[in-house]
Amino acid sequence: MTLAAPPSTLVAPRALLRPDRAQALAGAVGALALWQLAALALAGSYLLAGPVDVVRYLSANWGLISRALGITLENAVLGFVAGNLAAVALALIVALAPRARMVVSAVALVVFCLPLVATGPILRVLYGPGPGPQITLAALAVYYTTFIPLLVGLRAAPASWFDLVALYGRGAWTAFVQIRLMAALPYLLAGLQIAAPAAFLGAMVGEFTGAERGMGVLALRAMRALDVEATWAIASVAAAVAMVAYGLVGWLSRATALARPELLVALPPVPGAGGAGRRWLGNAGMVAITLLVLIGGWWLAMEAFGLNRFFAKRPDDLWAFLVSAPNAAENRALLRDASAQSLVYLVPGYLAGLGLGAALAMVLVLAPGLAGAVLPVAVALRSVPIVTTAPLIVLALGRGAAGTITIVAVMIFFPALVACLQGLRQTPGQVMDVMATYGAGPFTRLWQARIPAMLPAFFAAARMSVPAAVLAITVAEWLATGTGLGNLMALTASTSNYNLLWSAVVLVALGSALGYAAVGALERAVLARVAPEQLRD
Amino acid sequence: MAERATTGPAIRCTALAKRFGAGAGAVDAVAPLDLTFKAGAMTALVGPSGCGKSTVLRMVAGLEAPTAGEIDMGGESPAQMQAQGAMAMAFQDASLLPWRSVRGNVALARKLARQPADTDAVDAMIARVGLAGFEAAKPAALSGGMRQRVAIARCLVTQPRVLLLDEPFGAVDELTRRRLNVELPPLWQAAGSTTLLVTHSVSEAVTLADRVVVFSSRPAQVVADIAIPPDATPGSDSFDALVTRVSAELARGWDEAGADAKAAAQ
Repeated sequence: MTLAAPPSTLVAPRALLRPDRAQALAGAVGALALWQLAALALAGSYLLAGPVDVVRYLSANWGLISRALGITLENAVLGFVAGNLAAVALALIVALAPRARMVVSAVALVVFCLPLVATGPILRVLYGPGPGPQITLAALAVYYTTFIPLLVGLRAAPASWFDLVALYGRGAWTAFVQIRLMAALPYLLAGLQIAAPAAFLGAMVGEFTGAERGMGVLALRAMRALDVEATWAIASVAAAVAMVAYGLVGWLSRATALARPELLVALPPVPGAGGAGRRWLGNAGMVAITLLVLIGGWWLAMEAFGLNRFFAKRPDDLWAFLVSAPNAAENRALLRDASAQSLVYLVPGYLAGLGLGAALAMVLVLAPGLAGAVLPVAVALRSVPIVTTAPLIVLALGRGAAGTITIVAVMIFFPALVACLQGLRQTPGQVMDVMATYGAGPFTRLWQARIPAMLPAFFAAARMSVPAAVLAITVAEWLATGTGLGNLMALTASTSNYNLLWSAVVLVALGSALGYAAVGALERAVLARVAPEQLRD
Repeated sequence: MAERATTGPAIRCTALAKRFGAGAGAVDAVAPLDLTFKAGAMTALVGPSGCGKSTVLRMVAGLEAPTAGEIDMGGESPAQMQAQGAMAMAFQDASLLPWRSVRGNVALARKLARQPADTDAVDAMIARVGLAGFEAAKPAALSGGMRQRVAIARCLVTQPRVLLLDEPFGAVDELTRRRLNVELPPLWQAAGSTTLLVTHSVSEAVTLADRVVVFSSRPAQVVADIAIPPDATPGSDSFDALVTRVSAELARGWDEAGADAKAAAQ
């Protein structure tokens, strides 16, 4: 009698997607070789500098680059610390006062959606010279990506752990200290991992706004001088730093051996009992409170610091500019036209990036050997800041629709690919065993088991991709295309048309937040059907 | 059954009922129940899946508020018993905190129950459940049976007056279950707690308990209340007869509930 292999050895989905070092190395070498080949093919076109050119440039200019890198790193680290402390503080407020969750989350989201392109110049005016804007932008770039996983992690514990605490008559504080905080730690580290490269991006954007030294300053100079080698070299260094930062936090998280109790990626449901009508009323009330907090906070901040109305606009200034002034209709038309120009590139780029990321993840699952080589490269490229890739893509594809849509799509593509691959890994081994025992083909397995398991991660990526896509389009418009809201904000900042600048900022922030909320609503509707455990309170 | 010191209180449930939800979607989990559990004895609650027996246990634990009726434990309410750290509960999964060691998990119960830290008592209890040498191990390094032993040690280390066991061996294999059924009962018998055991296993109920209460399908109603004499040890004729009787009562409760549902549908 022949003993059959146990079912779990027939299909080992986790192992299939876990790349070994050799595959990862092959992927990295392959990517470098492709890059060098492309550079050779495009030699003389002033578009692409290959790895050899980059190394040559860096060795000749290492003193300059290393000094700039030191300054940017310092600002990024300060911003990283400040932003993450803010995220932890916000998450603690929400954990201890669950009723405040919606308002705090919404305000945090809107602030996160403030376009860097505009907040940079505004912060420069507010702070004057010095590292203030760089540090603030680095903090703004990271706090939300830490806040959200923390929010999820603070409820990522099975109900029986809380029963245990309740059984001894202990309250919410004990449950918080003994269970929630510890259960949230792995999620905090996951957030910090995303935050590390984002802080570097924020610091670089801050330097774009008129700093004297730093990688952002060098990048801007290289782009303006059309110095292809310098542009690629600086982008490569920034990308390498981002990857190392990402890798370091990842290593720290593995070294502390904090296993996740279970994988939750969806946002907590809106608190509050009662029927749909009462919930709707409650939500409307929360939206009203959120708007009040935002408008009140904005006005108070301006007044408290006694900021000059010439550049520090208040809500009533914008009301006049957009509604009650004689030329309000013209002002609104300006914003409408710019928004339309942005949306034309934003929407296809967003959908293409998300769709291609998910599609490639599925292809890689069907061809698992390839996943081992592609996943580490994708994880690395995910951490490359958009401010470094945008100029390169513009160099390669031009300033038209192709270049702009590609910038947005690239910004979305890698996070979506990595999230979807990780989501596909969540397919329970037993479910795959059931598929295997019936001899189900790869497409049946994909459709029946893997895609449903992937959806929570896909939607989490789709949600976080909304502000990312807006960031990408505004950066692209600012640095390259000369159209849309990004260009409008850059232009108005340099011509001191602060009413228009602030209006654009509010429009972009609210638009991003609404887009995020819309994807979140779709997410809840889909997950209620395929993964209700994700929506548990 | 071994003689035990009765330190646990009698538990009296009066007109105890539980309804989940409201309006058309409401579900009656427990019909009004009048039950008294003898001080220091172990009572097994058996019934069909989803009949509400775990809900009864959770109401006694104070983890679920009754819709109607009340629970009295020697003059104390579940909330008062909680506040005194006088109860302990084992769940179907061991519910150990993965970042705490075996010792840390067991010690946590003393901390939650406001009892002074006592590493010697904790280590002694770990040794009594057969896990000496594993004090520093994390739950991930233990088998399912070992995790349940830790959960039992966590329950007993506070010397609870009321011990609630919600299918504590439901998730372990049959051999491990039998072994745990032999090794662990002397520990909780010695503790003298008033113990309620929810189980799906009729033979486990007859082996461990002094009394078996058989529930009907949801909403839980008592269909039989059977005393288990001390001489009904596994392998004896009286044991086999009791297992057969409890099984028959279980089937009757299930049938009656089915007939009631059919009648209601007509």
